[in-house]
Parts: sequence; structure tokens; C-alpha cells
Amino acid sequence: MNNQTNTSAKPKEAQSCTTAMSFYHKQIIKIKEDIYPKDYLYKQIVQAKFFIDTHFANDINLNHMAGETFFSKFHFLRLFKTIYGRTPYQYLTMVRIEKAKRLLQTNIPVTEVCFSVGFDSASSFTGLFKKITGSTPSGFLNNQKKQTPSMAKAPLKYMPGCFSATNI
Amino acid sequence: MKIKLTSVMVNNQDKALKFYTEILGFVKKTEIPMGEYKWLTVVSKEEQDGVELVLEPMGFPPARIYQKALFEAGIPLTAFNVDDIQKEYERLEKLGVVFSMKPTNMGAAILAVFDDTCGNNIQIVQV
Repeated sequence: MNNQTNTSAKPKEAQSCTTAMSFYHKQIIKIKEDIYPKDYLYKQIVQAKFFIDTHFANDINLNHMAGETFFSKFHFLRLFKTIYGRTPYQYLTMVRIEKAKRLLQTNIPVTEVCFSVGFDSASSFTGLFKKITGSTPSGFLNNQKKQTPSMAKAPLKYMPGCFSATNI
Repeated sequence: MKIKLTSVMVNNQDKALKFYTEILGFVKKTEIPMGEYKWLTVVSKEEQDGVELVLEPMGFPPARIYQKALFEAGIPLTAFNVDDIQKEYERLEKLGVVFSMKPTNMGAAILAVFDDTCGNNIQIVQV
């Protein structure tokens, strides 16, 4: 008897929960079931991503990253690409370039920035920096330097959508 | 061509400014009066030179229909990134923010959706 009331109460509760769920929430759950059914796998991939986030400055390779997840290199690579849309190396490069951008703004010389974010050659650093940000490290620095004084001089120019007379 | 702005339509700019700064923690960047409405933008406290969010007045009635339909379906108008979604969810809920979707795992991301009190659902994402 007791068992029966329990089983009949359960679906009712679940039902009231689904009706309160928004269309969007239901879609999210459906997509999750269809595309990302194995939650436990992704936790390990996230772990590897954290590893990249914290060790990007070191000489890390696919073996180190995959080692974090206990998956084979190939399985790791495939899963990482599936959930982040880029390979572990592409992600590592992105993290390094983002960090480099911040360091460049603090007046650290380009070559020093290059090595401190984990690149081992200045030319590959410059090439990747240009590919990702659209300008070379020194070009990026020059743009930053140019912008600061002109911003102080004519701040309204940097107010998007401001059509005041001084702006034209 | 550069992307410097994105916008959310709000049904009350003053209320929106209060919510987006006092509750969410953004910082007001620009406020220029323009008659009935104003040019109003906020930025992230951590990235004050980053993309600006325009709190755009709901001045065009058909937009209200679009906004209402999205809202009722629980679809977020836009999404912001957070470092720790659980912490942010608890912080916002304590401040009275209403969530239509509590933190939910989705592959490597965790998503949650809340009501911005100005007619929109906003999603927060931890990647």
C-alpha cells in the first residue's frame, strides 16, 4: 500500500514540474539529451580545460591535457572539439593570446610577453597573434597607445551613437 | 567594422539602469538625454573598455510583441558570462531575482535564465 502511494505520487510531481518549465528550458533539456547525453564525460573535459587555463604558460602538450581526463589522446581530442568547438591546441593558443594582450598593455616588451605566455618562438607568437586578433603585437600596442590620448582629447568620439555637434 | 555595442530593449530605462547596475553589478558608461528617452549604456565592471550594453527604450510598439513572445517562451534575449554560476545564482536569488531556469548543465557549459524585470529573460553562462 505504502509502496503504491509512493509510485503514484512520483509521476504527478514530475508532471507538475514539466508544466512549469518554460519552452526554452524544455528545449535545453531536449538538446542536452540528444547531443550531450553523458554528463560524466564532460566533467572530465572541463577538468582538462581548467588544466589549460592554469598551465598555459608551461610547455604543455596533448599528452598532458589528455592525461587530466584519463582518456586516450584521440578520444580526448574528439570530445574536446565536440563540446568546445575547437581543438585543445586552438583553445590553448587562444588562452595564451588573451593573456598576451593583457601583458602587452602593461608595457612588457613583446619578446618577453611571448615567452611568458608559453610560446617558444617569437615568429610563431607574432603569426598567431595576427591571425587571432587581426594585428601584430606591435600593431596592437600602437593602436592602444594612439587611442588613449585621442580619447582624452575628444571623448565624445568614443561614445557610440552620440551625434552631438562636437562629434561631427 | 568593429562590434562595440549590443542592446536589450527595456520597458523602463530608469528601472533598467537600477537593475543592471545595482543588482547585476554593471557600471554605467554613458547617459545622454535625448528628449523622452536617453542614450544609456552599461559595461561590465571587470571589462570597462569592453562591449557596451545599450539599455534601449521600448519606443517601437511592434517590438513589444516580439519581446513578450520571447519572454513567455522563456527564451533569453542575450547572455552574459560568469566565472562561478552557482555563486552568482545564489547571490542573485538572495537579491530577489526570479529564475525561470536554475543552473543546468549543457555539455561543458552551465546555463541559467532569469527575469531582468524590464521585459526580458537574460541567460548567464559558465563555460
